[in-house]
Amino acid sequence: MGKERIVVICPGRGTYSRETSGYLKIHGTTAQSQITWMDEHRKNEGLLTLSELDSQPFKTKVHMRGENASPLIYACSLSDFLSIDRSKYEIVAITGNSMGWYIALALGGALSNENAFSLINTMGSMMSEGIIGGQIIHPIVGENWQVDEVKTKAVLNEVEKAGAYVSIRLGGYVVIGGEQKSLNTLLKKLTTDDKYPFQIPFHAAFHTPLLESVSKKAFGLLSELLFQKPAIPLVDGRGHIWSPFSTETQELYQYTLGIQVTRTYDFTTSVTVAMKEFCPDKLVLLGPGNTLGGSIGQIMIQNNWLNVDSKKAFTNRQNKEPYLISMGMEDQREIVSK
Amino acid sequence: MDLKARLLKDEGKCFYTIGSSGHEGNAVFGKVFPHTDMAFLHYRSGAFFIERSKQVPGTSPIYDMALSFMASSEDPISGGRHKVIGSKMLNIPPQTSTIASHLPKAVGTAFSIDRARDLDIKERELKGDSIVLCSFGDASANHATALSAINTASWITHVGGHVPIIFICEDNEMGISVPTENHWIHESFSSRPGIDYIACDGLHLIDLIIKSQRVEHDCRINRTPIFLHMKTVRLMGHAGSDIEAGYRSLSDIEATEFNDPLLHSARILIENQCLSADEILNLYESYRTRVNHVFEAATDRPKLETAKGVMATITANRNDRNVPPQPGKGSRKTLFGKEYKRLEQPQHMAKLINYTLSDILLRYSNTLVFGEDVAQKGGVYHVTADLYNQFGVRRVFNSPLDETSIIGFGIGFGHNGFVPISEIQFLAYLHNAEDQLRSEAATLPFFSEGQFTNPMVLRIPGLAYQKGFGGHFHNDNSLAIFRDIPGVILAVPSNGADASKMLRTVVREAHVNGRVIVFVEPIALYMAKDLHEPKDGKWNFQYPALDEEIPVGEFAEYGKGKALTIITYGNGLYLSLQAQKEIENKLKKKIKVIDLRWLSDNDIPKLLKVIGTCENVLIVDECRRTGCHGEGLLAQLVSDSKKPLNLRLHAAEDSFISLGVAATATLPSKESIIQNALELVNG
Repeated sequence: MGKERIVVICPGRGTYSRETSGYLKIHGTTAQSQITWMDEHRKNEGLLTLSELDSQPFKTKVHMRGENASPLIYACSLSDFLSIDRSKYEIVAITGNSMGWYIALALGGALSNENAFSLINTMGSMMSEGIIGGQIIHPIVGENWQVDEVKTKAVLNEVEKAGAYVSIRLGGYVVIGGEQKSLNTLLKKLTTDDKYPFQIPFHAAFHTPLLESVSKKAFGLLSELLFQKPAIPLVDGRGHIWSPFSTETQELYQYTLGIQVTRTYDFTTSVTVAMKEFCPDKLVLLGPGNTLGGSIGQIMIQNNWLNVDSKKAFTNRQNKEPYLISMGMEDQREIVSK
Repeated sequence: MDLKARLLKDEGKCFYTIGSSGHEGNAVFGKVFPHTDMAFLHYRSGAFFIERSKQVPGTSPIYDMALSFMASSEDPISGGRHKVIGSKMLNIPPQTSTIASHLPKAVGTAFSIDRARDLDIKERELKGDSIVLCSFGDASANHATALSAINTASWITHVGGHVPIIFICEDNEMGISVPTENHWIHESFSSRPGIDYIACDGLHLIDLIIKSQRVEHDCRINRTPIFLHMKTVRLMGHAGSDIEAGYRSLSDIEATEFNDPLLHSARILIENQCLSADEILNLYESYRTRVNHVFEAATDRPKLETAKGVMATITANRNDRNVPPQPGKGSRKTLFGKEYKRLEQPQHMAKLINYTLSDILLRYSNTLVFGEDVAQKGGVYHVTADLYNQFGVRRVFNSPLDETSIIGFGIGFGHNGFVPISEIQFLAYLHNAEDQLRSEAATLPFFSEGQFTNPMVLRIPGLAYQKGFGGHFHNDNSLAIFRDIPGVILAVPSNGADASKMLRTVVREAHVNGRVIVFVEPIALYMAKDLHEPKDGKWNFQYPALDEEIPVGEFAEYGKGKALTIITYGNGLYLSLQAQKEIENKLKKKIKVIDLRWLSDNDIPKLLKVIGTCENVLIVDECRRTGCHGEGLLAQLVSDSKKPLNLRLHAAEDSFISLGVAATATLPSKESIIQNALELVNG
């Protein structure tokens, strides 16, 4: 029997949380040498090592800061990626959400571990002096996880009126980025019965024009030479496929530090394209955590993928024969791990 | 993809096997030309489509084409209605391209680009420096439509116009089983006036890139047509059902396979040390696996199953537009000049249509009027008089004497935000261009789920009764070809006031809903002023207020009598109204005459309601009995009426029209209508 074909999905910022504290200690052995190298590097910079951070009690103000959260998440995802049993699973494409793009670049071979660490550290530390704007998250689906077109239109209309931007299209959610004043307006305007919308702590107005200065600075700090052609196809935050051989590294560099930073990250389209163009047997979501699981289910519903057309159908499918494997969930992790 | 499609066809899961194998070189065009250049592609353009998709992030070309092969209702372009290559995002209107009928509209689109830019049409879809690509096979180059289009492009260039188009002839030297003789394409097209000819090798990526970049630059800068002749091969036969061994020798087939462009491309990559042989083979196999999975997944996707589902897109439109406001009094005064005062006076139909066109051109800045002799001459019957002076040559212009190109212009201009109001000079002339209407204009919403439409109003002076003038070809009295084209609105006004209101309706329908409309104007009634007797002025009408329209399908009633209902249109109404008084005198009862006005979209239940208790129904149809509208109407009334009706169809004889005094001999007349009416009522 041939290998199962999988698409790997890399998580974004905010996935290393109180619940996933200690993730590296449990799952980090497969990437031990890379983690050791990263720890050494951070130590030399006078920073807490990733291992230290991982073993300390979770503190929002420490663990969610970009300069700490980003490399921590990278280390966790890298460990999970290296845990995948490649004798049984063939990785046909890699995609990710937001910062997950940088991880995808690393895992797909477009960046070496050292260069990925450098990129992730640089981008994660850009706003250590103070973040630009912020992000709020708001649903556009009903209880059944089916997109509510009227609601979507109304939300987008309010976003435009408030002078904010769509930061991420995230399945059944829209992540909105903007100046705090705009976000405050939206937090009042978009109020619903449940907990939404809420502001994501320590998150800047990623993927919006407000980050033009960050993009410009990144081009100054990071060289095109960090990049190489990927070994595995990558699906970016627009749904564009970067293929081995045909990728122009200059274009990949320009996209990663340019459009990717300052324009909407369309995770919905990324996953849609990955599912359609590669038709994998499974999707594998790397840890830490599994907060993207719901969004991925909602993207399946939007596409009626595998005839999954509601939350219930998704749950049934997952219980019966999971299509989405979250490595942050112990029982599912076992399915794909060595 | 072609291989997998054939394997799935054998399993009954795939419904199309005409492939792109051998034509992979067109991927280079997909790479070199930006996706903002509209491309009208022939059916071996899979590689072009996939490569162009890479320019637009978020597209999924392999999966989408798989859905198309499998006729899935989720196919994003045709919804499972046809295996077409098309995409709104990629600027590729879908069509079947089997008989090169896409070339005239490609020329029309190219012709529209500079015009839309210069007129600053806000609805325009294409950038001002865009060009158009149009591909077709070597055998297709012989179709009348191809020759018409290429000739027209040449003609436009010759008279100084801009038609930035690249005709890409993908020459695989075979038309199904018939070889294209050596050098035929070169000899036939290499020295057309105004068209540059460039040959390229479809088996050689580097030659293709160099030539493509050259023609891309030249066409964009010079705005003139180029004929790009790409020599290539055809692999795997014409289609899955085509057994090549039946008409080609094994050695011929093997020699062709030896020239597989993929092999040549692999050789070039190795020679230039881009990839190793192993890397190429691994890449090929990884794509084979990927395609297999994608195609297998697509087989499970839903299909269209019901007539309702299939027909849902016949008049679909996803590009609604708002109606512009009515022009102000001041601008109309300036426009009409001395004629402004005469707008209040009753006029004949030709004049009222003329006024209406002026107001429409003023109101809708994206409308154009073109056709043979419509500009300086103002049309054979002066219906378009003064429009040229009022709106200038960019909006009112003469076309070449080629009906295929007139409709091609219409479709093409429609693709770029215009609402063309084109004219075919006489009804009989349309027959030479019928397919442009039938297979191209009318089908586009159907094949694209309304993502692309062909907004157009095709005015056609026609029908008979021209006082002994012209003979058959100026008096053709058959509208049969419009009867069975789904989605086309067919209007036949009988008087000036109706014509004005109906013309406003159809332009709005085209502008807002993207509809295709045929507007047949009865020539014999153009100048008619009187109805019953000379100088009674009863066929002269006041120019209707600007906001007056007649909805599609709405008919008119003349009289309330119940002894007899005459249903008719066009000249038939004029003659029936003349006969009405005499019939009523002879029957000593009142009758009713209904003017259908529209020969499509008839509301039969409403018609039956208006017929009401009247038992006698005479259908008067000036067109030839076989295939006339009355024939279908008769059947529908019989079928749908809940009570027995005493019905008769009085139509023209199944004859061509004669010259001279016998010109009306085969047609219904006032006298024959009276006779038929009396016979019907009196038994």
